Amino acid sequence: MIEVNGIHKSYDDIQAVKGISFSIKDGECYGLLGPNGAGKSTTINMLSTLFPPDSGTITINGLDIKKSAEEVKKILGVVPQEIALYANFTAWENMLFWGGLHSLRKNELHKKAEELLKFVGLLDRKDEKVKGYSGGMKRRINLACALLHSPKILLLDEPTVGVDPQSRNMIFELIEQLNKEGMTIIYTTHYMEEAERLCDRIGIIDSGVIVAQGTLDELKQHSEIKDVIVMECNQTPDATFLSSKLNLSLKVIGNIVYIESTDSKKDLTRCVICCSDAGYEIHHIDIQKANLENVFLKLTGKQLRD
Amino acid sequence: MFKILSKELKAFFKDKRAVLLTFAMPTILITFFALAFGGIGGDGIHQIPLLVCDQDKTDLSKKTINAIDSVKMIEVIPCNYDTAIDLIKLGKRTSVLVFGKGFSDSVKQLKTLPLKFEYDAARVEETGVLLSLVPKALFTSSVGKLMTQEYFGQRLKLLDSATRYKVFVAMSFGSSPSGNTLDNLMKLKTTSIIAAKVGNVGLVQAVAGTAVMMLLFSLTGMGGGLLDEKEQGTLKRLLYSPVHPAEILLGKMACSIIVAMMQLTAMFIYAWLAFHLQITNKILPLSIIIIATAIACSGFGVFLATVARTRQQLQGMSTLVILSMSVIGGSMVPSFMMPQWMQNISVFSINYWSIQGFYDILWRDLPIGGIFLSKVAILLAIGITLTLLSFRFFRKNVLALD
Repeated sequence: MIEVNGIHKSYDDIQAVKGISFSIKDGECYGLLGPNGAGKSTTINMLSTLFPPDSGTITINGLDIKKSAEEVKKILGVVPQEIALYANFTAWENMLFWGGLHSLRKNELHKKAEELLKFVGLLDRKDEKVKGYSGGMKRRINLACALLHSPKILLLDEPTVGVDPQSRNMIFELIEQLNKEGMTIIYTTHYMEEAERLCDRIGIIDSGVIVAQGTLDELKQHSEIKDVIVMECNQTPDATFLSSKLNLSLKVIGNIVYIESTDSKKDLTRCVICCSDAGYEIHHIDIQKANLENVFLKLTGKQLRD
Repeated sequence: MFKILSKELKAFFKDKRAVLLTFAMPTILITFFALAFGGIGGDGIHQIPLLVCDQDKTDLSKKTINAIDSVKMIEVIPCNYDTAIDLIKLGKRTSVLVFGKGFSDSVKQLKTLPLKFEYDAARVEETGVLLSLVPKALFTSSVGKLMTQEYFGQRLKLLDSATRYKVFVAMSFGSSPSGNTLDNLMKLKTTSIIAAKVGNVGLVQAVAGTAVMMLLFSLTGMGGGLLDEKEQGTLKRLLYSPVHPAEILLGKMACSIIVAMMQLTAMFIYAWLAFHLQITNKILPLSIIIIATAIACSGFGVFLATVARTRQQLQGMSTLVILSMSVIGGSMVPSFMMPQWMQNISVFSINYWSIQGFYDILWRDLPIGGIFLSKVAILLAIGITLTLLSFRFFRKNVLALD
């Protein structure tokens, strides 16, 4: 449904995006994960037809965004990073204004606005000015305004910035529901837990380049990041003995042994038996699951929040 | 405390806009006012042009005209009567001094001189100065001397001419038994050519000048809404929707024009209610100039907002440009009170064309058409040109979102 091929974008001397390619299927939730300045928003701006790429192509639903920008805009909903609402307008007035830009009929617009206000849990506060809302409420209206014309594809550019955990969770639930209903979603974030929770596939973007993409498991495999089984024993374990018995890579620091595993659930039992057989008492066991943080660190050599 | 002081000073001087407003703005305004009223930058004397129509064409009339021309503050411009009246009606000159036929004979025969002073009463300051300088020049010229000799010669024949003149000066225009005083004989017959029946010209100046200046400020503020939208992200969201960027700018422009028309209308209604400014019989021409002014000022407001990259830049620029335009354009003081070179550059301000348009209607009482419509056309041209330029800068500055 969405095909991005080798797009480039520069601002003056800065190359913001350097040959990004990816494709997204209908109904998929695709995450663009990267630190600030990685090129996520530029990519979203190009996908939303705001700026054409300097080179490369983007087709959405078979439409080239350069040639058919107006058609593409009809099937796209965009939730910008900023709370792009008129603060002195009420939620209802904002909804009618933003929906009105899509030439919806009055009755249809009113019905849709009411439906969406209910969906984001703000119907009872629709007549309050947006400036009086909490950050989370503003984010929810920000989301609702992008859905008024019933888009097939929703682009969300870091939609939870500055939101408390409770509101963030509520936004996640809304996005999950939209995705379940069949909406294709592109979600940019620099929070790994958001990408892990929401996205079917993730593209890791850094310095304008997608360094890896796929499902979380595919990314782990690609980056060769493994789970780590941590066992604290009553004495310093013999690393050579354990390594030869388990046939796994490990290291020992003091009384603690760190064992790398591609399947930690399966290997855990073997590790415990091996340690017991060797006569070590195990005081504490923990499994450090490989996550996007490790993957990102491995692939880019930097922390996600650098 | 010194740490705070040091930090405050550092913060102040890092804020270029604040420094500009604090030092550059007053300096520029002082310069403008000094040039306008302080006699700086020229020969130190602000000469007032006076059209002179010599219908007598005698040596005496020519000598008298030369005497008037020798007054430092007066610049005599010879002209025929019809042209002079046209120039005054068009607002290009303020007054004409007409030496009627028989001027020379009247001097010799000690009759009332056929001198007419016709003027634009809207330019009260200039004509006031001329009305005080011209009679004085007449008295001190050969006409004054001749008439004094004749006047006192008939009454004090025993005195020689030099003594007679001294007596005249000492008596300061003594009266004759017939009541025909010398100053009465030499008195100018004054006529206001333009809108003699209309009320206070100062009121027109005050309302039009202030309204246009404030309009420029308020519309620049409105235009700045574009930059607010950019900062808040709503501009980006507008561009995500099926709205063409030109529609965004035109929408802002249309809103500005409507608000401007409402503001100007309200100002003139207030002046009518509170100060009895006569507008009720001039609704159509007043509406035309209000619309033209609204379009020009809105174009200016949006143009400035698209040239600026931030709200702070806009504030600095608008204060500087609007105050400068208001000074040279006659919003603060009538432009005819300024030196000629400043009057020449006043045509580069919206204020000038708008205020002159209001003068044409409310003071000069000109009909719709001709000179009035030319001012309307210039205002519309300014508005359209600035709007077209705004499109260019809108793409370059405002739409450069990242």
